[in-house]
Amino acid sequence: MTRATALLALVFAEWRHHPWRTAAAVTAIVLGVALGHAVHVINASALDEFDAAVRAVNGTPDLELRAAAGTFDEALYGRVALDPLVAAASPVLEVETAALDANGARVPLSVVGVDALVLAAIAPALVPQPARGEDRLALLDPHAIFLNAQAERRLDPRARGGSLRLLGSEGAWRIAGHVNAPGPALAVMDIAGVQAAFSRAGQLSRIDLRLVPGADRDAFLRRLALPAGVRVAEPGEATERVDAMSRAYRVNLSVLALVALFTGAFLVYAVLALSVAQRQPQLALLGVLGLAARERLALVIAESALLGVLGSALGLALGTALAALALRELGGDLGGGAFAGIAPALHVEPVGAVVYALLGIGAAVLGGAWPARAAARLAPAQALKGLGADAAPRPPPWVAPLLLALALALAFVPAIDDLPLAAYPAVACLLLGGIAALPVAIEAVLGRLPASRHAPTLVALERVRHAPQLATVTVAGIVASLALSIALMVMVGSFRTSMLRWLDVVLPADLYVRAAGAGGRDAPALPPALIERIAALPGVARVEALRVANVEIDPARPPVAVIARPLDDPSARLPLLAAPLPLPAGETAAYASEAFADLYGARPGTHVELPLPGGERVRLFVRATWRDYARQHGALAIDRRDWERLAHDASASDLALWLAPGAGTGIVRAELRAAARAQGLDAAALEIAEPAAIRATSLRIFDRSFAVTVWLEAIAIGIGLFGIGASLSAQVLARRKEFGLLAHLGFTCAQVRGVVVAESALAAAVGAALGVLLGLAVSVVLVKVVNPQSFHWTMDLAVPWPSLAALVGAVLASAAATGWAAARGAAGRSTVLAVKEDW
Amino acid sequence: MALLEVEALAKRYGDVTVFERVSLALERGEFVAILGESGVGKSTLLNCVAALDRWDAGRIRLDGTDLGGLDERAQAHLRRTELGFVFQAFHVLPHLTVAQNVALPLLLQDRPDAARVQDVLAAVGLGSLAERLPRTLSGGQLQRVAIARAVVHRPPLILADEPTGNLDPRTAERVLALLREQVRSESAACLLATHSRAAAAQADRVVTLTPGGIVEGGA
Repeated sequence: MTRATALLALVFAEWRHHPWRTAAAVTAIVLGVALGHAVHVINASALDEFDAAVRAVNGTPDLELRAAAGTFDEALYGRVALDPLVAAASPVLEVETAALDANGARVPLSVVGVDALVLAAIAPALVPQPARGEDRLALLDPHAIFLNAQAERRLDPRARGGSLRLLGSEGAWRIAGHVNAPGPALAVMDIAGVQAAFSRAGQLSRIDLRLVPGADRDAFLRRLALPAGVRVAEPGEATERVDAMSRAYRVNLSVLALVALFTGAFLVYAVLALSVAQRQPQLALLGVLGLAARERLALVIAESALLGVLGSALGLALGTALAALALRELGGDLGGGAFAGIAPALHVEPVGAVVYALLGIGAAVLGGAWPARAAARLAPAQALKGLGADAAPRPPPWVAPLLLALALALAFVPAIDDLPLAAYPAVACLLLGGIAALPVAIEAVLGRLPASRHAPTLVALERVRHAPQLATVTVAGIVASLALSIALMVMVGSFRTSMLRWLDVVLPADLYVRAAGAGGRDAPALPPALIERIAALPGVARVEALRVANVEIDPARPPVAVIARPLDDPSARLPLLAAPLPLPAGETAAYASEAFADLYGARPGTHVELPLPGGERVRLFVRATWRDYARQHGALAIDRRDWERLAHDASASDLALWLAPGAGTGIVRAELRAAARAQGLDAAALEIAEPAAIRATSLRIFDRSFAVTVWLEAIAIGIGLFGIGASLSAQVLARRKEFGLLAHLGFTCAQVRGVVVAESALAAAVGAALGVLLGLAVSVVLVKVVNPQSFHWTMDLAVPWPSLAALVGAVLASAAATGWAAARGAAGRSTVLAVKEDW
Repeated sequence: MALLEVEALAKRYGDVTVFERVSLALERGEFVAILGESGVGKSTLLNCVAALDRWDAGRIRLDGTDLGGLDERAQAHLRRTELGFVFQAFHVLPHLTVAQNVALPLLLQDRPDAARVQDVLAAVGLGSLAERLPRTLSGGQLQRVAIARAVVHRPPLILADEPTGNLDPRTAERVLALLREQVRSESAACLLATHSRAAAAQADRVVTLTPGGIVEGGA
């Protein structure tokens, strides 16, 4: 047996002797790694699936010619297709619409109009596959439609008798086969059919180009001289956009998942600190026999690393299984919305797995660092006499203030690459600094209490008061997990409150109407005659028309929404963050959402260039910034009259209706549908919503987005409570002689258990108070730094005091209950006999 | 009636008999040493007398009370009011001051008495160390704290289990003398378990515990 194996044998003997304690530490690492890895795998699988779907739909062109806003004239196609450097040119018209499923619910559907004769060279996955019995030329039939697997699953062609109606268009289409494109629900039609159905005659969304081998791409583009309103796009742009769109949400969710690992590190610390304390005589003997301080440190570090390796291996396996289950049950979207509607296959990448394994090992080693230091520092001779140094030495007094100061400094660092990369370490420093200050906090709070005359209380209070570092070991995990849970609770509560207030401002009307299929890239216009009819309805007192157009300002970013609406009193119409600046003479006003202001630098007092449909660009003066939780990529509000003047567009896509006194919404809804039918439109062509329904839908989406957060909070709290139980149980074992003495002195079993419960309750109370303070501090970082830097929106801080109090109460009660369970071993017969020393 | 009456006591752990047919009587104020080799069951006998361990045969009466019929709470009450303990390994609570350690038996009976605590500490020579924590005291000082704690509540019976086992001979002699002096001054009886003849010499009477029972006199 070598020296190393002999020392490791001691470690394994310790594990066998305390299997539950070891299992607790390993389990904490397992859970932390599993959650982090699962979230990572789900997001990566979803992104891969999305990328594959986009590549299948978009094909593999060398270039794409796209409209900067809306569509462009198909005349460009003729010129491009005949260019000698172009090997293949595929015209595409994309329309976002919806169809009704068997239950009458809307199913979003992307309709892609293609020329099947040229499509195969560029996007073979999009080539329509006629069904058995169909003419093979059906793919050229403008009345035929071909669905992908997701669309077939949601719309069930057989139940529909083989035909499909699309909202925003007239007539029905024959379902003639399928396409092999993966991803969300999609339909392919002949391009002429789409142009006719959606009144886009002579219009295209893009042209996909394959150049001849060896063609000079730049020379080609220079010669092409694209008209205004058409730009060159790289084929991978769509995936990059979704990647950018979802990156902040994915990063935040991954960091959140690491909360469990962070809490797990504290559990490892608690377990190893007590293990080292119990093994002091053993370590002291090894020291006397020649094991140097650095070697004792290395031994404990090696032990924690082994715990990490074991926990990480099991955690990766569990995380992969969780990811597979989640992908099967939830699809690829964990609440951010970017991957809704796709069903990705599990894709585990080795690099990600290695990273999370290393994080798990790192967390374990971090948890073992301080106990390892204690093992190195003990004086062997003194320890053998039982006069060893404090089992859990206090950190130097400068550690806590330094960490807290570092947290404050990091909180003021701006976003790095559009992510709050400095804010996360700020949160970690806050938590670590708070826990380092826990002994001081215990002394400060409990030091004020007078010595008790109640014997069990005296014993418990004095122990916690004079050995605060041991109390720190017990409650460090609960402080961290409670602080993080409170921070998330406050952040989610603040967001919800702010969103509800925002909805109050942006939904002042009684009913909202828009064309079905709106919400995608294009917002269909409502027929002017229909708007007139609606305004004349007896139940309608007032109508406001809005136009929402999606405009591409930066090709690397998703389009922004331009909202043209009456803005005679912008402070009343928009949730402005501050009073609008005076409008300089000759300027046209615009109001930038927070996201727009952040992403495009459009602060109040600056100018923004807006591309208009038709190609020209207009310069607008930004008067104010407004809060918008609906459009993460930015929105620009402009007075409707200015839009009409600049864009020559008087159409409306949305209507806000104020009802006449006494008019019921049910009757007005019926009148609206009748008005649509009178105009020859399908009644389902209108989407009608009441503010209460919009509010309920918004809250449902919001709650789903944060459902994962709630689960992660609960797991972190669970790990923290587990930590209390594990460390208390270990302490009970270590203090058997002390408890035996209490029994000899006449403490009843209940009183001995009461001492343990009182100690855990006292430590937990101080820990909970500190956890609340830390949690509120972390919530300020989340609300004021992480959210704005991640999602470009702000919110008002709102502390849900009743929920917070309930959470703290539940944690304290659980800590006391955990203490009671751990104390069962404190009053048994074996503790009575433990006082005996047989020489 | 004797203060302590042990009649034909037997203790077994499974098939192993620790002792049997142990009979012993202790009068008030009497200092009796129980001699015996290590492992013969001296501590077990003391634990039985303290109702901390169960026995398999026989009877124990303390001040007229049959210990066999007491429930756990009554046993705890008995230890609180009728007994004082001194251990080989001192066993003072590390996070209580010297005064708080000594006061514990009084606090358990809801009879705080700071003056009594101070008197007892002075009597054992630790009056100036009342506010010190145990880790700053020597072994001899710690054992004096234990003695003070054992007598502070004036129990009729002190049980001392190898009280000098961790002390050097000179300190051991002083501690034993102190124990004897305190026992006498408080009019308590004392049952001292020891394997040291020198320690046993301090007692009024010496008995020897053997597996087969008690033998009067040193073995």
